[in-house]
Amino acid sequence: MAVGMLAARRGAAWWAGLRPRTRRGLAAWGFALPFLIVFAAFLGGPVLAALGMSFTDLRSTDLRDPLGVNIIGFDNYLRLFGDEVFGQALVNTGVFVLGSVPLTVVSALAVALALNRGVTRLRTFFRVGYYLPVVTSIVAVAVVWRFLLEPDTGLVNSVLRSVGIEGPHWLDDPAFAMPSIIVMTAWRGMGFMMVVFLAGLQAIPRTVYEAAEVDGAGRWQRFRHITLPLLRPTMLFAVVVTTIGQVQFVEEPFVMTRGGPLNQTLSVSMDVYNQFGFGNYGYASAMSYALFVVIVALTVVWFRLLRSAR
Amino acid sequence: MRTRRSWAVAVAAMTVSLVTACGRDGGEPGPEAARPVDAGAARGELIVWAMGTEGEKLSELARDFEAANPEAKVNVTAIPWDDAHDKIATAIAGRQTPDVSLVGTTYMAEFARSGALDPTPSIIDGQAFFPGAWDTTVVNGTSYGVPWYVETRLLYYRTDLARRAGVSPPSGWPELTAFARSMRDAAGAQWGLNLQAGGEGTWQNFMPFAWQAGASITDPGGKQFTLDTPAMIEALEFYKSFFSGSLSPTTAPRPGELEQGFVDGSYAAFFSGPWHIELVREQGGPDFAANWSVARMPRRVAGTSFVGGGDLAVFKDARNRDAAWKFVRYLTQPEVQVTWYESVGDLPSVKSAWQDARLSGDPLLKTFGDQLNEAVSPPAIATWEQVASVLDTQVERVVRGVSSPADAARAMQAEATAIGTGF
Amino acid sequence: MTPIVGAVTGSPSSRRPFRGARGWLYAVLSLGLVGFAGPFVWMVASAFKPETELRRVPPTWLPDSVTLDNFRAIFVDLDFPTYFTNSVIVAAGVTLGNLALCSMLGYALAKIDFPGRRLLFALVVGTLMVPSMVTFVPQFVLVSQFGLVNTYPGLVLPLLALAGPLGVFLMRQYMSELPDELIDAARIDGAGEIRIFLRIVLPLSRPALATLTIVTFLGTWNNFLIPLVMAQTEDKYTMPVALALYSVGQNSTQFGLLMAGAVVVVVPVLVLFVALQRYFVQGIAMTGIK
Repeated sequence: MAVGMLAARRGAAWWAGLRPRTRRGLAAWGFALPFLIVFAAFLGGPVLAALGMSFTDLRSTDLRDPLGVNIIGFDNYLRLFGDEVFGQALVNTGVFVLGSVPLTVVSALAVALALNRGVTRLRTFFRVGYYLPVVTSIVAVAVVWRFLLEPDTGLVNSVLRSVGIEGPHWLDDPAFAMPSIIVMTAWRGMGFMMVVFLAGLQAIPRTVYEAAEVDGAGRWQRFRHITLPLLRPTMLFAVVVTTIGQVQFVEEPFVMTRGGPLNQTLSVSMDVYNQFGFGNYGYASAMSYALFVVIVALTVVWFRLLRSAR
Repeated sequence: MRTRRSWAVAVAAMTVSLVTACGRDGGEPGPEAARPVDAGAARGELIVWAMGTEGEKLSELARDFEAANPEAKVNVTAIPWDDAHDKIATAIAGRQTPDVSLVGTTYMAEFARSGALDPTPSIIDGQAFFPGAWDTTVVNGTSYGVPWYVETRLLYYRTDLARRAGVSPPSGWPELTAFARSMRDAAGAQWGLNLQAGGEGTWQNFMPFAWQAGASITDPGGKQFTLDTPAMIEALEFYKSFFSGSLSPTTAPRPGELEQGFVDGSYAAFFSGPWHIELVREQGGPDFAANWSVARMPRRVAGTSFVGGGDLAVFKDARNRDAAWKFVRYLTQPEVQVTWYESVGDLPSVKSAWQDARLSGDPLLKTFGDQLNEAVSPPAIATWEQVASVLDTQVERVVRGVSSPADAARAMQAEATAIGTGF
Repeated sequence: MTPIVGAVTGSPSSRRPFRGARGWLYAVLSLGLVGFAGPFVWMVASAFKPETELRRVPPTWLPDSVTLDNFRAIFVDLDFPTYFTNSVIVAAGVTLGNLALCSMLGYALAKIDFPGRRLLFALVVGTLMVPSMVTFVPQFVLVSQFGLVNTYPGLVLPLLALAGPLGVFLMRQYMSELPDELIDAARIDGAGEIRIFLRIVLPLSRPALATLTIVTFLGTWNNFLIPLVMAQTEDKYTMPVALALYSVGQNSTQFGLLMAGAVVVVVPVLVLFVALQRYFVQGIAMTGIK
């Protein structure tokens, strides 16, 4: 007991004797350590191991003897260039992200703004309601959306027919399958982004708005010059996370179209999933890391565009 | 500075040793000899994995086994069907396999090739099983595991509509086309025959036709693919003719739509396995029973159907190997196979079990049993899933008119050869 | 709630035309709500339908015949208490762990100037961009090396590691927007980093913590692959695994069970969401008073 107290006092004295900079550095690493231990062990390690895997020809049949594989350098990556299916998946994913992310951002922002200030009653009701697609089972979502998109009896085509347009076979037509998936995924992802935007909007103090109003700023001006800039860090977070999630979209095409028709809705993540299913672990890892490069590039773009100017 | 350099040296050394440690040994593994199993009752704890309903109901059968082997204790863990492959593969990687597991027939070769499965010992007689089913366990000349239950595909059709149209179950290919056409034109069905137009699993609808035409996926040795043959092209053309002739829909029916359509007459016929007996009965009710039946595959060069099902495999890392094989042998006794059928509805893989009145007395089941004598499984190669996906894609291209049958057959052969057999 | 509204509605003179606009807003939002909440309502209604009705095409909305069979199958036939408890333990463990670890690292990255902070942030967020599918097999091998297969830590730690980078990203972004003056003043006063963190930064970060709670809980609660692989015996299965097990067969799916299961699984998430919703509102008062 006495020894312990002595040690504690010695420790405190040592700590107080350190330079502030060193103290800060040690404190910082102290804060960081618990996270880093778990992270390095259970994520960092596997990520590096998977990277190593991508330079080998590891297949599922090698799993009992993982070191007994050939190191083939960049062969897996080079193979990607010649892989037609991967090429199509890449294009599909690009088209998808270009369509889905902006759609999700705009709709989430609109709903968040409306729910934050515009409505006073039933706010919780609306918020929960708009969040529901995020938590609805994908199986239920698929049944309802498939029903909506039915060429003959579905709601969408019925509405179109009432204005004289003959709607296409949404999910079966190679040209329209992807747009359907884009809308469905944006619909599903909107709720999460809305929640993040709401948190960001509510962190903006009322006083700033009130001051602007006193200065005569209109609603649009308040939005452009106060809301948007102050929302930037939140927007950066929401957009980056949603982009990362949507670039890896796999659930929606898997359940709705299985990647068809004729691979028109095949995403890179689905291709990776299939390759893992085939047992081509080395190749699938290489494909994942190729996707990683794409994700990093997109993230850098977003950071450049939305970094808050301070 | 010094610490940084020594770090670099350490990392370099580790990388070099890792790189030189890697590398395949040349040569191909040959047939493996099975180790014997001791005589006497089973003892100790046994860990068994099985999927879905089989997993739930297996515990009941296990009680009987425990009664006959008092010192043994069987632990059954049920795992989900869709992800069983991933779970078993990761278990193999982490050396955390059970003693016995149910394995889908198309995965056997992959797991056997990884060295995770134990060769079947002599206490099991391979001759007792349907040959097509037994073949699913034979990889590179050695048998790993046994077929537990089987399924095969038959033609489900409306007997009353057929009577109205004046046709009987088709015996050959021209008869099948005429059958479907009459169902549509004379009996008022919207689709004379439902076939899968594309997507995952199309090969299960298509390959029987290819086999009937005399085509085969690999040569008899199982080393080379033989997909670009006149028989394959003939089968592709035949398959496509149903779609171009508006006898089959290019859009797949939604879940539930096929059974409903079969009962209300919009889908006159389709190919499927034994599980649809219950589904059709449920949909149509007791009064509907007289209006439908099943028929064997049409003949071209042969009247072949697809055989699938589930195999039982024992793992090399099993902690209780002897008890495992004894449990497997128990499950393949004819009486136990029939009891299993009554409990879960899975068809026995053991030929003699079919002589039991409960199976031979039911006309629908009897047809399944007959077809099992002329049913083939895809080759037991480690790369089957990927090759199957190639087949699915190429058949879809033919059906949608994007590829000609000849081009598709050539593409199939080229892509499958590029994938290889994994040996 | 109401004081905020005043800022938006503007001066009294413009209140009249505004009411029309407000009405339109409600109308549009309600229409949108139908679109967004529709499938969920269908899911709940379908949980009460018998299997034969669920297979019917076209699908029905409200149940033609109401049955409790699906729910009975879940609560009675399945070992519901075990699976639900496991889900709670795992999700709560991961969420609490994530809140603690990510806020700590987020604070360090946002407000403490130390060597290597940029690189550390890039590395951590970098792994967020690695498709998670690829870490699957190595992660399992690692967990079995640690002897943690089929244990609660074996379920929690991989999920915690997976959820971590997102949490760090969120907390760091949020905390970096907190005013430096408050923290610098405290430092000058001689407060240690721990005290600053606990007394100043954490209370100010509540909206972010609330968001992180929802996101982590949802992701973990619905996670299927990790519990599937890390659990070797059924007594460690979580709800999603148990549901997949009982509703999907080799050749057919039991939709009723699947829907009822989905409803049961969604209830805790919604409860959490609604509870934290009110939190956001309280959060306003905190940031308003400065």
